Amino acid sequence: MKSILKAAAIAALAGISLPNFAMAQTEGGAIDVATIGEPPTLDPMTSTADLVGIITQHMFETLYTFDANWAVVPLLAADMPEISEDGTVYTITLRDGVTFHDGSDMTAEDVVASLERWLRIASRGMQTAESVESVEAVDDLTVEITLNGPYAPLLALLSLNNSAAIVIPSEIASADVMEDFIGTGPYQLGERRPDQFTQLTRFEDYASRDEEPNGYGGGRHQYLDEIRFVPVPDPNTRIEGAVAGQFDYVDSIAVEAYDRIASGNTEPVMLAPFGWPVFVMNTSEGVNADINLRKAIQAALAPQDMLLAAFGSEDFFSVDGAMYPEGYVWHTEAGTEPYKPMGDMELVAQLLEESDYDGSPIRILTSRQYEFHYTMAQVAEAYLEAAGMDVQLDVVEWATLTQQRTDPAAWDIYITHSPFLPEPSLTGIMSDTSPGWWVSDAKHEALGAFNAEADPDARVELWAAVQEVVYEEVPAFKVGNFNAVAAQSPALEGVTPAPWPYFWNAYLEE
Amino acid sequence: MLRAALNRLIGMLTVMAIVVTIVFIIVRVTPGDPAAVMLGPDANAADIQALRQRLGLDGSIIQQFISYIGGILRGDLGQSIFLGQPVTTALWMRAEPTFFLTIFSLSIATIIALPIGVASAYWRGSVFDQVMTAVAMFAASVPSFWLGLIFIQTFAVGLGWFPTSGYGGPYSSLGDRLYHLILPATTLGIVSSALIMRFTRASMLDVLNDDYVRTARSKGMSEWRVVVRHALKNALIPILTVVGLTAALLISGAIVTETVFALPGVGNLIVSAVLRRDYPVIQGALLIVAGLYVLVNFLIDMLYLLVDPRVRY
Repeated sequence: MKSILKAAAIAALAGISLPNFAMAQTEGGAIDVATIGEPPTLDPMTSTADLVGIITQHMFETLYTFDANWAVVPLLAADMPEISEDGTVYTITLRDGVTFHDGSDMTAEDVVASLERWLRIASRGMQTAESVESVEAVDDLTVEITLNGPYAPLLALLSLNNSAAIVIPSEIASADVMEDFIGTGPYQLGERRPDQFTQLTRFEDYASRDEEPNGYGGGRHQYLDEIRFVPVPDPNTRIEGAVAGQFDYVDSIAVEAYDRIASGNTEPVMLAPFGWPVFVMNTSEGVNADINLRKAIQAALAPQDMLLAAFGSEDFFSVDGAMYPEGYVWHTEAGTEPYKPMGDMELVAQLLEESDYDGSPIRILTSRQYEFHYTMAQVAEAYLEAAGMDVQLDVVEWATLTQQRTDPAAWDIYITHSPFLPEPSLTGIMSDTSPGWWVSDAKHEALGAFNAEADPDARVELWAAVQEVVYEEVPAFKVGNFNAVAAQSPALEGVTPAPWPYFWNAYLEE
Repeated sequence: MLRAALNRLIGMLTVMAIVVTIVFIIVRVTPGDPAAVMLGPDANAADIQALRQRLGLDGSIIQQFISYIGGILRGDLGQSIFLGQPVTTALWMRAEPTFFLTIFSLSIATIIALPIGVASAYWRGSVFDQVMTAVAMFAASVPSFWLGLIFIQTFAVGLGWFPTSGYGGPYSSLGDRLYHLILPATTLGIVSSALIMRFTRASMLDVLNDDYVRTARSKGMSEWRVVVRHALKNALIPILTVVGLTAALLISGAIVTETVFALPGVGNLIVSAVLRRDYPVIQGALLIVAGLYVLVNFLIDMLYLLVDPRVRY
C-alpha cells in the first residue's frame, strides 16, 4: 500500500505534471494502448465521451488547450486572444505554418468553418452558440469571435478535447458527418479496424510549438512512430492483459486490481483524484422538486460509507464536499457545511418535517456499467430508508439510463460521475437544460456573474458563491473524490497521469 | 428431392420474414437511444433530438420499417450509426475471426466428443463412462466467460504461451491472427463438446444393440470394424444434426467468448451494437445469424435425404 500512497502523492502534487525530460528520449517504436472499448466515433466534435477525446486528441487540435495547472494556453492560436474591454470580441491570431494531414495549410477560413460546424453540431458548441453573434476571418491568420455579451467560459470551451472545437479543413467542416479524419495533430489516422485497433502514425510535417511541454500545452514531441489503441471491453481481460504485459498502457482498471497489477509485468499508475461520483436530483418533477426533501436526502446520505463500499480502501477515494479538491484553483470550502461524512440524521427528521414528502418512493436510476455507481446506490438506499424515506432502485443498463435520464417523469435521482472539468461552468448541473433541470434565480445570479467575469482571480471568488448556491438548493449531491488507476509498461516513459491520457512526448526506453 | 427442397425453401423464407419483423420490433421497443449514447453523458435533450433528426431516427416506426424492408429487398442492410460504414461491410470485416473461431472450436469439440462418446457407449456403466459423464456435465455447465478467464490466467498470464486477448495488430500475418484464436477456440470447443459427447453416446447405445451389429459380430469382424464401420456410421445421423446445430450455435455462442477475448468478430460486433443501440447493425447481424441457423437446418434436412432414403418431407 505504501507504493499506492506514493504514487497518489506524486500524481496529486503533479496534477498533469511536467514529464521528466532530464532523461534521454529515444525516437521510434510503437505502443499498444488498451482502451475500454471501441470509440463510438472518431469525430470529437460530436461526442463528449472520454474515450473519443483520448484517441482523437492525438489527431485533432484546438485553438487552445490546458497546461499542467489547468490554465488555458494557446495551441493552434499563436497567443492568448485579445479581448475587447467589454469582453465581447475575441481576436485570435493563428500560428503560421501549421499544415493539415492532407498537406494543406491551416488558414482562418478553416478555423471559421470549423467553429461554425462546432456551433452547429457539437453539444458544447450548441450551448455556446447562444452567446455567439459571429465568427469571422479578419485575414488569413486572424479570426474574430463576437459575443452578444461577456462569456468567460469561451476559452475553456475552445480548449476541451471532447465535444471539441477542433480545427479541420473547411471542405470537411462544411459537412455534418465527418468521413475524412484530417487534423493538425502530431499523429494521423493510419488504419482503423473497428473492435481490433485504431492505428495512429507520426505526422511527419507536424508543426510543434516551441515551448517546453506543459500539461496538454507546449511542445508536442513525436518520439513514437505509432500509437495503436486496442479495444478490450472486458475489464477482467484488461487486467490480465496488464499483468501479462501485453500492452504498453492499459486504461481504466478497477482499483481493486491495484496490487495484482503491481505484481505483474506492468506498473500501476494512479491519478488522484480523478473525478467525483454525483447523485443528480430531478428538480423539475416528482418528489425531488421539493427543495426540503433534497436537503433531507443530502443530510441523510453518508458519503464516507458510500465511498468505502464503492472503492474498498481510503487509498482510492477521499471524503470531500468541495466541488474541486485541493490543488485546483477552484477549490473552496464555501457552503459545504451540509456535507457530513456520516450524514446528519437529526437534521433529516427536521427537514422531512418541513418538506411535503408523502412517503412516495424516491426513484434512483442507476446502472452496473460502473459497478461503483450501483454499490453507492445500495448504500444510499439503506441510509435513506433508515431516515424514513421509501426508495425504489431502478437498475438499467447504460444505454437505457442515458435515454431515461432525459425524461423528467422517469426518475428522481440518477447516478453518474465526472472528471474535474477545467471550467466549472461546464459541469452538467450548471446547464438549465441538462438532466436535473436545475433552474433558480439564485443560480442564475451567481452563475451569470461567474460567467460574465473575465478576470481569473475575481472568477475564483465568484465560484465560491456558485458552490454555496449548489449546497443551498441541492441540485446534486457530490459523494466525494475518487482516483483512477491505469497500468503502464516499465519501458514506456514520458507519460504523465492525466484524466485523458496522451502519448505525444512519450517514448520507449531502449 | 426437388419438391422437398422447394418446400423447405418456402419455409425458410417465412421464418426469415418473421425473424426480420420480430427483431425490428424488439430493437425499437427496447429502451435506449443511439443518439444519447453517441453524444455522451453531458448532452441534453435538445442535442439528442437534433442528432436523432440527423440520423433519421425521428420518423415513425412504420416509416422506418418500410424503409428497412425496402433496403433488405435491395440487398442493403443499412448504414451503421457508429461505424460510418454499411452493415454488410462491418459484418464482412468481422467474418474472418468468427469463421475461423467457429471452424476451430467445432473441430476441437468434435475431436474431443466423438471418440469419448463412442467409448462411453461401448463401455457403458464403466468407471470411464461415469467419469466422462461427469466431465460432460462440467463442460456443459461451465460458463464460457469463466473458463475463458481461467485459460487467460493460466496459459496467457501464468505460462505466457498465448496473448491474453485481441486478434493481432496492423502487421499481423494470418498465422499470427490464428494464433490469437487458440485460447478462445479451446474455450468454446470444450464448452460445446458436452452436447456432442452426450448425443454420440446416446446414439451409439441405440445402434450397438441392433441386429445388424450382432450380425456383424457373428461374422467374425473385429470390434473396431464393428463399432466404427457399422455402428458409428449408422449413429452419425443424429450426431450430424447436433454438430450442425452446434456450428450455428457457435456463431451466436461466440458472442461471450469474443467479448472476453476482445476478438473483433461478429459476436463482439453484436454486443457493442446492442450496448450502443446501433439499430442497423443489430438488425443486420441478427438477420445473418438467423439466416445461418435456417441454412444449416436446411442443409441438414437435405443431408438426411441423401443419407437415409426413407426420410420424406
